[in-house]
Amino acid sequence: MNAEPEPKPERRAAITGIGVVAPGAIGTEAFWKNTADGVTALGRIDREGCTHLPLRVAGEVHGFDPAEVIEDTYLVQTDRFTHFAMVATVWALEDARLGHADLDSPYSVGVVTAAGSGGGEFGQRELQKLWGSGSRHVGPYQSIAWFYAASTGQISIRGGFKGPCGVVAGDEAGGLDALAHAARTVGRGTDTVLVGAAEAPLAPYSMVCQLGYPELSTADDPRSAYTPFTPGARGFAPAEGGAMLVVESEEAAHRRGAPVRATVAGHAATFTGSGRWDRTREGLAHAIRGALAEADCAPEEIDVVFADALGVVDADRAEAAALVDALGPHGRRVPVTAPKTGIGRAYCAAPVLDVATAVLAMEHHLVPPTPNLTDPCCDLNLITDRPHPTPLRTALVLSRGLMGTNAALVLRTGASASR
Amino acid sequence: MTDQTTVQTAGPAAAQATGPVSVAELAALMRQTAGVAVDPDDLAARADTPFDAFGLDSLGLLGIVGELEKRHGRNLPDNAEQCKTPRAFLDCVNNTLATGA
Repeated sequence: MNAEPEPKPERRAAITGIGVVAPGAIGTEAFWKNTADGVTALGRIDREGCTHLPLRVAGEVHGFDPAEVIEDTYLVQTDRFTHFAMVATVWALEDARLGHADLDSPYSVGVVTAAGSGGGEFGQRELQKLWGSGSRHVGPYQSIAWFYAASTGQISIRGGFKGPCGVVAGDEAGGLDALAHAARTVGRGTDTVLVGAAEAPLAPYSMVCQLGYPELSTADDPRSAYTPFTPGARGFAPAEGGAMLVVESEEAAHRRGAPVRATVAGHAATFTGSGRWDRTREGLAHAIRGALAEADCAPEEIDVVFADALGVVDADRAEAAALVDALGPHGRRVPVTAPKTGIGRAYCAAPVLDVATAVLAMEHHLVPPTPNLTDPCCDLNLITDRPHPTPLRTALVLSRGLMGTNAALVLRTGASASR
Repeated sequence: MTDQTTVQTAGPAAAQATGPVSVAELAALMRQTAGVAVDPDDLAARADTPFDAFGLDSLGLLGIVGELEKRHGRNLPDNAEQCKTPRAFLDCVNNTLATGA
């Protein structure tokens, strides 16, 4: 799989709203504050049924009550990952000030989500009933709740959004592929697409599924469990939560007077196979070149890079090399950051949270830091201790998945003044 | 789509319900299994209104059928989950329960 850049869509895809539920930050405002301040939300896992497992540190979402936003009829038939996605969607629509009165037709709004983990908590509960008490005890919602497609479906049903819908069932990079799919959907004529990802991979069953990943950090100190680009890197800490974005055609946003906060300018993805991190140098560099070409963007125009930052020495080295391969000498100068070291990697949601951060960073002209990095060893201009104020017009977001996908996305700042 | 031959009972120790299912019990089940809040008196007064109007979809009704089968330790007919209104559903279920084992 080696995606060539697509023709530039006539209808540019504009990001007009952001909704976030992240570790340590329920809501976009709290998320940006934590991210800009470099706050660490990683912690020792304290969820019931999880504390005996060899995975010790993760980014958990505490104090999240979906019932404040979503009706019981939806909550009883959905998993935590869908609760995150539904709440984030409500907040993204509020942020975009997009209500049903603004919509020409229910067919003018589509939904695209990415999912890599599915509804593990719901699934585990029902499977325990199956084997503990018998099939009579398994509820019918098991048939829909743990599917990767659940969040797209429920967001569409609850909002009455009947436009083109889709699901990217993928690894981490799927989050960026979903954004690209949404942008193409807008390019083909749908006014609005609600797009993003949320994951809830910290139920006992889901955690056990991850224990086989050699890239998983089993360190038990939240300050040192996930430190990419350092000699002591020992893997990544997983996270739950996610973000949903409102993507509209620029024309539709202008028509209703909504500020264009950023545009999805370019994307490309490549596949280099799982576990072969040395090969991602070539795969990621090719994805970056493809995204730049689609965005009609010179390497020197990139003002900030949101790194994948896996936390595996070979992978980090490959990513640093890929940046220089694709951007030339600018790859060593451009500010690079990985705010996800403060919250962990929420699988498909990780790069979507980075996209949300990139939009907010461009609005504030501030590169947020990479928390917990004391001794970076790579040949990059990595922003570590404190946020770095600098004019930001164009951002590059990178993501690689454990199953071998590499993706790059170019965002440009909106024409509107920052708010 | 339940394969009735594979349905297991909860075991000999489980206390099993007897007698007909009331409107109040149905209202409680709608809340418990499908998250649909409905006042029992309102449900009784609108017993011929389709379940859809209360916000209960087909999977929700299927969940109620499953819960009743569990409580009564017996299978309900396949058409129970296809009933469109509370009255039709309660008639179907209670007729079955009244016929004995």
